[in-house]
Amino acid sequence: MDNPRGLGRMLEEVARKQKKRQALLFGNREVSYRELDENANKVANGLQSLGIRSGDRVALMLPNIPDFVYAFFGIQKLGAVAVPFNTMYKGREIIHILNDCEARAIITMTNFANLINEIQEDVPSLEHIILTGQRTMVFVSPDSTVNVQMVVDKDTFTSGDDAFRVVGELLIDTLKTFGVEAWYKHRGGIRCGGKKIATVLVSEVENLLVINCLAFLGPLKTEDFFRVVWVSPEIKDKVMEPTTSVEEQTGTRPSVTQFKDALLPVLQSRLGISAEQGQLKRDELFGYEKTRALADKE
Amino acid sequence: MADTWRLIFNPDGDAADMLAYPSALIEGRIAGKYMLSTEKLPNTIVVQGARQKGILAGADVDINKETARKYDIRVANYPRSGRGGPKPVGTVNLSDVLKTSSRKFNAVDTDPDAPAVLLYTSGTTGRPKGVTLTHRNFAQQCDNVSKVLPLDESDTIVLVLPLFHVYGLSNGLISGVFFGTRMTLVPQYSPSMLLEAIERTSATVLIAVPTMYMHLLQIARTRKTSIPKSLRLCVSGGAPLALTTLREFEQAFQTRIAEGYGLTETTSSVCLNKSGEAFKPGSIGPAAEGVQMRVVDDNGSEVADGQEGEIVIKSAVVSPGYWNNPEATAETIKDGWLHTGDLGYRDEDGFFFITDRKKDLIIRGGFNISPREIEELLFTHPKLQDAAVIAVQDKREREAVKAFVVLQEGQEATEREILDYCSQNLADYKVPKFVEFRDSLPKSATGKILRKELREGYRDDRLLDKVSGDNEEQHNG
Repeated sequence: MDNPRGLGRMLEEVARKQKKRQALLFGNREVSYRELDENANKVANGLQSLGIRSGDRVALMLPNIPDFVYAFFGIQKLGAVAVPFNTMYKGREIIHILNDCEARAIITMTNFANLINEIQEDVPSLEHIILTGQRTMVFVSPDSTVNVQMVVDKDTFTSGDDAFRVVGELLIDTLKTFGVEAWYKHRGGIRCGGKKIATVLVSEVENLLVINCLAFLGPLKTEDFFRVVWVSPEIKDKVMEPTTSVEEQTGTRPSVTQFKDALLPVLQSRLGISAEQGQLKRDELFGYEKTRALADKE
Repeated sequence: MADTWRLIFNPDGDAADMLAYPSALIEGRIAGKYMLSTEKLPNTIVVQGARQKGILAGADVDINKETARKYDIRVANYPRSGRGGPKPVGTVNLSDVLKTSSRKFNAVDTDPDAPAVLLYTSGTTGRPKGVTLTHRNFAQQCDNVSKVLPLDESDTIVLVLPLFHVYGLSNGLISGVFFGTRMTLVPQYSPSMLLEAIERTSATVLIAVPTMYMHLLQIARTRKTSIPKSLRLCVSGGAPLALTTLREFEQAFQTRIAEGYGLTETTSSVCLNKSGEAFKPGSIGPAAEGVQMRVVDDNGSEVADGQEGEIVIKSAVVSPGYWNNPEATAETIKDGWLHTGDLGYRDEDGFFFITDRKKDLIIRGGFNISPREIEELLFTHPKLQDAAVIAVQDKREREAVKAFVVLQEGQEATEREILDYCSQNLADYKVPKFVEFRDSLPKSATGKILRKELREGYRDDRLLDKVSGDNEEQHNG
């Protein structure tokens, strides 16, 4: 083979020969070779519009879903270099890989948004985080979790990064009132001794920031959860990042009420905000009921 | 910044509330923005506890609702959102890219020797290295496959192995497209999901690892009927497959299993032991066409047939080297020969046999001990389901054999029992000094035992350090 064709060209030619033939079967979905080829083209165009050029490295942290295939061949069509890596990798492993290949973009699942957000600061080359799929998973438990959510005007904070930082500090100060010494890693993870004790995720929609935080007051026992979501035993301990909790750090588990009572003064002292207890208004109640009904759909 | 926010305190919430409150607040605010409502709603903070265990799951998460009810776990699903839902700040949605970009693009002309893919692999020491694979590497691999295991448009191939691994990527996806096959994507492996995928799509080709064949067989044993018989060809790789499993699987599924051998550095498979044809139990087969394979001694000279040495490979499937790492490349590829680090021999018929990995060898009292030999013995113990053997230091700081074993469900055994079994079957110096019982063993995506993680002082790489400069020392310390 003196001059073999590239992988992008290979797909193009196969797709031209058998346009309508099925290429991918995924659950109930069927994707023809033509569709596969067109989706790869869309990814190539999309990456190009983000400034990705031939020879640039694009990381892929995806399971076996059609998007992996579109992204992979889109990268090939552009002449860029695909860097697919293990979806079970965490923290330092990912930082090492992204830095070693100087990835300019990463395509990954929404549920890894937190993780990638957090390490972006350590990977100077990484300009674009491209997210797909709906695999977010949050565990809540009466023995462990408290959830803090904020829906605020975008101009409440100077930037998304600022929101991450300020809310991270709010939580650290709140945890400190219970005697927990935690520290904050850029964008999202609040840790004690390497283990996660709280997370922050900042999202945006129209003119609003939506901030979701989860803090562990007591140890999170995941056994029951993993009965419901099947994960092979060999990799179970790799799926979840190691966590700790206020109780594990101090011997005492605060109640959700105590947590709220500790949070409010911090909100006041750090941001000058007083919070008045209220309820959902009529317009909101409608949305609340609607979402609850959707959430229960089998 | 507004001085007064609204607080909604909901100590006895549930998983659905975690979703419904922010949605409601967003809806209220956006209605206000477009003047659909006259009420001006303030910034809001919600603090919630959970009155019962719950999972808030994205639409693609596969949840067993029956088990959830049994364990009293409240499941709430994110509705499948279209465009325009909240997205993490500073990110791009792939679905937006797919919806707004043109579907026309002409693939750029690529230099065949330009990198197409980097795959990171962990050696026994140090950090993962990026193996550079070129367009030529993949083209040659497809060409090799077309000679030993040709597929065609009528085939349906199950892609259950992760596509981030060379085996699933090269022999699964890229070969699959090359031959114009139908490909069934299995996003998350579970034995029953795999079986269901084979059944539903009448798959003809399965590319998998030994653990998966073992699991499928276990299911097949319990349900004698309704085992899909559509598979015409199976390939096993990543780790050796026990001969008994191979035979029993072939019988139950009315198929053939070919065992392959390859590395990330060789764009996956370089040889294949095809059951039903010229098959030799325990062998990895002869070298594929387009692949030169030799067994060499420490000086790089080829040894006689039957004699053990390191397996080296030369072929257009061999990677040009490690990304940005000329030292590692020079150590591994010498005069165009890739040094695999695998020990083995070639028999007089040109079949290769792997005896061990060079670096996993345990040396005790000058004797080389192959962890694999001991593991294979332990696999035959009726009470054991899995085993791994590594070297540890004994009190006198000599290398000693340690076995990690996993009992079959419902079985009990003592350390003595395991050791006696070893003594009966192994030379004394090979009998483990230590036995540890485990619930499961750490394995890689392709079912290879991660011996590194069994070693004492193994450092969990998932932990993020506060100071990121000192990782390397701690890691090696």
